[in-house]
Amino acid sequence: MTKLPMLMAACLLLLATRPAQAESALTVGAVYVGSVNDYGYNQAMHEGLEAMKAATPGLTLLEAENVPETAEVDRVMQGMIQQGAKLIFATSFGYQQFAFDLSKRNPDVVFEHAGGWMQGPNFGNFFGATQAAWYPMGVAAGKMTKSNTLGFVVGVPIGFAIGNVNAFELGARSVNPKAQVRVVVTGSWSDKTKETAAANALIDQGADVLTMHVDSPATIIRAAENHGVLSIGFQSVAARALAPKGWITGLGFNWGPFMTATAKSVMAHEFKPAMVREGLGEGMLAVAPFGAKVPKDVQALVNAAVEKVSKGYNPFTGPITDNKGVVRLKEGESLGGDKMGGLDWYVAGVIGEAK
Amino acid sequence: MPTDMELTSSNDIVRATRQQAQRVVMIVLAALALFALLLLIDGKDPLRAYRDTLRSVASSYGFSELLVRITPLLLTALAVALPARLGLINVGGEGQLYMGACMATAGALHCASLPAWQLLPLMTALGFAGGALWALAPGIMRAARVVNETISTLLLNYIAPLIVSYFVFGPWRSSDSASYPQSPAFVDAARLPSLFGTRMHPGLFYGFICLAIYGFVMRRTRWGLEMRAIGGNSEASARLGIPVSGYMITAMAVAGGIAGVAGMAEVSAIQGRLVANLSPGYGYMGFLVAWLAGRSIVGIPVMAFLFAVVSSMGDVLQITQRVPYAVVNLLMAVILLIVLGQRKKGSAR
Amino acid sequence: MSVNFASAVLSNAILSGTSLLYATLGELVVERAGIVNLGLEGIMLIGASVGFAATFVTGSPYVGILAASLAGLAANLLFGYLVIGRGANQLAAGLSMLFFGLGASALIGGRYVGAVIEGLPPVLLPGVRGFDALVWLGAPTALIIWWLLFRTRRGLALRAAGEDPAVAFAAGYRPDLLQYQAVAFGGLLGGVGGAHLSVAYTMSWDEGMTAGRGFIAIALVIFARWNPLWVVVGALVFSGAEALQLQLQARGARFSPFLMSMIPYLLTLAALLFWGRNRRSAAPAALGRNFHGVE
Repeated sequence: MTKLPMLMAACLLLLATRPAQAESALTVGAVYVGSVNDYGYNQAMHEGLEAMKAATPGLTLLEAENVPETAEVDRVMQGMIQQGAKLIFATSFGYQQFAFDLSKRNPDVVFEHAGGWMQGPNFGNFFGATQAAWYPMGVAAGKMTKSNTLGFVVGVPIGFAIGNVNAFELGARSVNPKAQVRVVVTGSWSDKTKETAAANALIDQGADVLTMHVDSPATIIRAAENHGVLSIGFQSVAARALAPKGWITGLGFNWGPFMTATAKSVMAHEFKPAMVREGLGEGMLAVAPFGAKVPKDVQALVNAAVEKVSKGYNPFTGPITDNKGVVRLKEGESLGGDKMGGLDWYVAGVIGEAK
Repeated sequence: MPTDMELTSSNDIVRATRQQAQRVVMIVLAALALFALLLLIDGKDPLRAYRDTLRSVASSYGFSELLVRITPLLLTALAVALPARLGLINVGGEGQLYMGACMATAGALHCASLPAWQLLPLMTALGFAGGALWALAPGIMRAARVVNETISTLLLNYIAPLIVSYFVFGPWRSSDSASYPQSPAFVDAARLPSLFGTRMHPGLFYGFICLAIYGFVMRRTRWGLEMRAIGGNSEASARLGIPVSGYMITAMAVAGGIAGVAGMAEVSAIQGRLVANLSPGYGYMGFLVAWLAGRSIVGIPVMAFLFAVVSSMGDVLQITQRVPYAVVNLLMAVILLIVLGQRKKGSAR
Repeated sequence: MSVNFASAVLSNAILSGTSLLYATLGELVVERAGIVNLGLEGIMLIGASVGFAATFVTGSPYVGILAASLAGLAANLLFGYLVIGRGANQLAAGLSMLFFGLGASALIGGRYVGAVIEGLPPVLLPGVRGFDALVWLGAPTALIIWWLLFRTRRGLALRAAGEDPAVAFAAGYRPDLLQYQAVAFGGLLGGVGGAHLSVAYTMSWDEGMTAGRGFIAIALVIFARWNPLWVVVGALVFSGAEALQLQLQARGARFSPFLMSMIPYLLTLAALLFWGRNRRSAAPAALGRNFHGVE
């Protein structure tokens, strides 16, 4: 029975030795739902945080990848707080409730959640206003397609994703009245085998341009490349590297400036919670460079559309009918960005069921 | 190792716990050494990992999280241990948990106006019913000697999460959160209260109460005696007049119900709503906990505690050394493989 | 529904079902020898991660598949040693391998997430969609395994080890050696099954990417009544459900994908009920028990 006391002594010894804590101006924690090398959502977040770190001397960054959207994330964030984090970026939609509850238990730590709507004295929310930005992407696709069938793979069918699909179709229709978008839902933000199968299904149904709203565009773009199909990327402009032949253009998030500003405000004790939704105009979103196959006149059209959206154009302006024939927006009416979360219908020209 | 037949006094319980703990310590030390080797190969610092884990566990939050972690494991392990006494193998804890969560959610959503002291017992009963029903069919099929219960419970494990996903993406999808696939948030009356400001919740009490009842029934009642007889030799028991089929069906149903209560606790206390990926494999972990514990009742909380500590090491490794959390499965596997390798051929396992 | 639709569903089912097919065939051989490996998911994950890493490092998908098969073989032999050599409980050992595979694959594949590889090239036949070599070899493999199990002496001995080891022993065979061979073979196929997902189908690696296929394979063995020829049909049914619902979506129709995914399992249960009532069990009689030699 000497083993147990020996073990306890060993534990106490370990506990007694303290690691040398490096002095840090601010410790920031970030939690990702996937890997930071996904050419997509998580990579864009990571690059933004790296930019923040580069712009803020003395900042320590703690990161945890592949944290599922379950109670586990609570433990991970708490662990970061125990390591001294005073600013936590909960980068995935499904972390919201857990981060919010944690923010109430840790009033001295600032939380920033991506893509939700909750706010608190130490809880802010941020995202890119993606919907309008999809309009120029639709313009590009509408011009480049020969089969007039565009394929859109959606991960989780939330209102915001539906809004992206709608804006995409509206953009395509504006330059090509025959363009149709077929939508396939995989049910998960990241499921590589389902995404491959979804891409194959869309290509089988005649799509010659593929795009997506999933965490990582990599699998779908690679599937498109393999079948000689064009692709438009999302989440990160780095995805361009995956499609040397079929790349048209893409959208990517540019989180660096926002994250740097947030970190600085926390360090200066001047943080004010806000609902930040910025789009192309404010630089939160960026348009990727064009692929080799895109002709100059199409590029000009797309750039003009980007200009229009950056200056405030809202593609969700009536008259708009949904794909079941119901008039959703009358002449002159428009749907604001705050209503995107509640969208549950597709515009005419989209083949799919939103509900 | 005294069997739990011989546990008659609190002294015996203490002694049994100490022996179990000793065994655990030896196994864990061996596994930690092996795991440290793996970490070193990967370029990580095992000592720092172990130290950080200890500090995290020693903190009050860390310790409360350990208890949060063992709560579902106590229940799903019981769901395996109870039928095992009759010689039945229930690997369906996962599915039974999901169905319990599903039924409890039905109660929470449709009876939202009830006060907590009525709603929570109702949800608990519904959780039990959901899991029990899910295990009832395999029990009946086994008693009728039509389908082996290992196979039927395993197959039902696939169907239950699909049913939950169906509801969460469909009829129960909450429209107030951008149509994210999850049920509406439960009203406060439907939430198991958190204790001491941590995430600990009464599910823990459910676990220990079920354990105590199980221990009492097995050791002190005629039912327990007859069930153990069936486990020893079912044919002889039948000839003695013991209603074997009845016991089998009841044991499976009760076991499923216990796993169902684990599901209810997850949605009510931790999640606060029904979501698609409810369980990170609690059912299978429960199987392993029950198997590690063997015939010992105190073994269940001890082994569940072991699982919880290993899991928390995963969190620590991930944050401090950028090791993927999934690697902690490796540590768990190493422990299990050592235990598996120890047991000699032909001995009771 | 046009012929186009049916052929699209079929070809997608074949493509995505190939990994399931190989893994199931491997598990079938192991179970025919009397051992059930619940941790097939872990073996597949090891195959997928090793296959992807090897393909990236060497630039050759063939080396990748080979490496994956060897890794699967080694992992399954570890399982086999515990179960055959040490007499461990098969279910517990299998679940331990599940955790082992989850952890080891995350460690191995971790630094390769996001790496870009060239997958298995398609073997182009006129008029047919380009499937890679593993897809084409799938059904022939099943046929060969059927022939080996049911038409050769060795296969008979292996099946005897799974039905009644004492009989096999009396006939002059070593049941434990036969079981080791079955386990090695099963691990090889399991590794190939996992590797097909990462090297050929998605050309990527992500933690846990098999998404339960290993467990589906175990159910599929039961569905196919432990017969390799039925495994081919079953793999189509199980992966066809997913292919069907995605193609239906792309056409604009909507049927709950979850209800559709349930159908293969319900079919399996119904089949078991039906056959069970006739008191005819197709399972190897000694499945799950360990042979301890002559006492």
